[in-house]
Amino acid sequence: MSDNQAPIACHGATSHAVDDSPFVNGLWKHNPVFVQVLGMCPTLAITNSVRNAIAMGLATTFVLALSNGLVSMIRKIVPNQVRIASYIAIIATSVTIVGYLVDAISIPVSIALGPFIPLIVTNCITLERAEGYAAKHKVTKGVLDGLGTGLGFTFALTCLGTIREVLGSGTFLGFSLFGPHFEPWVLFVLPPGGFIALAIWLMIFTTWRSWRAKLKKATTKPGLVAIAEVHS
Amino acid sequence: MNPPANNTGPGHTSAAIPMIKILGSVSLMCGILIVATQITTLGRITHNKEILLRESIEQLLPGMHKQITYGIEPSGDLKILPGLEGKGHRFFAGYDASGNFLGIVIEAGDRGYADVISAMYSYNPDRRTITGFQVVAMRETPGLGDKIRSDPGFLANFKNLEAEPDHPITTVKHGSKRNPWEIDAISGATISSRAVGRALETSVQTVTPVIARNLDRIKRGI
Repeated sequence: MSDNQAPIACHGATSHAVDDSPFVNGLWKHNPVFVQVLGMCPTLAITNSVRNAIAMGLATTFVLALSNGLVSMIRKIVPNQVRIASYIAIIATSVTIVGYLVDAISIPVSIALGPFIPLIVTNCITLERAEGYAAKHKVTKGVLDGLGTGLGFTFALTCLGTIREVLGSGTFLGFSLFGPHFEPWVLFVLPPGGFIALAIWLMIFTTWRSWRAKLKKATTKPGLVAIAEVHS
Repeated sequence: MNPPANNTGPGHTSAAIPMIKILGSVSLMCGILIVATQITTLGRITHNKEILLRESIEQLLPGMHKQITYGIEPSGDLKILPGLEGKGHRFFAGYDASGNFLGIVIEAGDRGYADVISAMYSYNPDRRTITGFQVVAMRETPGLGDKIRSDPGFLANFKNLEAEPDHPITTVKHGSKRNPWEIDAISGATISSRAVGRALETSVQTVTPVIARNLDRIKRGI
């Protein structure tokens, strides 16, 4: 359902969203996790440590940028009937390339991420950005959108990973924070902890966004009143 | 009267050809990208895997200066393998700077809670005991099963674990270890602990008889 709704949410009627940079949109305004609530499988599964969260986020960023760039490049020559098959082949290729690169950079990181690197191919964010944005825009914009969305995903994963690692293991990036006497809340490194951490961040993000919207509304109101008075 | 719709007519064939061409071109492009990346990164990946393996062996055999990889052929004979490469059953013999035999490191693996647990252990063939243990790869539950990598109490099992073919290595409930060939399981991670026990037992049964038959040769490093 999210897949169908996401393009509408990203490129809907809000004119400022269309005008803004695709990088900023992906990174913040339409953050894939905190706003669109997409890609929940890796979000919950891999965020039990900050290191894994950052590695997973950067791998997804690379896949998004590469696949968006390639999809934008071929957008004018691909017939409508075979576009999804082409996009999936491109995304799968990007994921395979990332797998090789992670192995080449660090085997321990590759072992830690386990099967979640190949599973990026099933992350709905990748196909949504290819179909919803890259297939309708130039290569530069497509790559920028991929980078923005990927870094937004990395940011969200790091936020979740921070809560889960600090509370669940008493460490941050592997460094002990509370000394040997700290009794970690193991719940936070287990799947239920992922849901709890996600709920906490969604609450913070949504509250902050609604507060910002109210503030914006309050500051623009006198101007609207003045315009209305001129017209009357 | 109009003729019935025909999906296999020449019009549909001609419409399908551009699609096949495009899909073929996309597939070709993807194939070239994958092969190019694979060729570019292959050397580095092999190098990284060797470093990981070498570090594990060095941690299990402190003071090791030289190492020889032995492969076990289907006939049961030993064969020296170049570097750390090799498939099938293999083990690594370590020697100090003077060429004295230090011990043997053997690979082991079995299915744990989430995936296969790959491990290595050091083996003293004179005393027929396991003297060290290290997990190489696993995907056990963080906070529970993954304690097999770091739990001091669990790792203490492998400081002097008897590995005689007559006494199968078994994992027992936490706190109930009575014999030198038993492994005291981690409370709350019984499946992972048992997987380690099974992995060691299978490996000991397969590899240690071959080592016993060829011990003189291994000690001389030939």
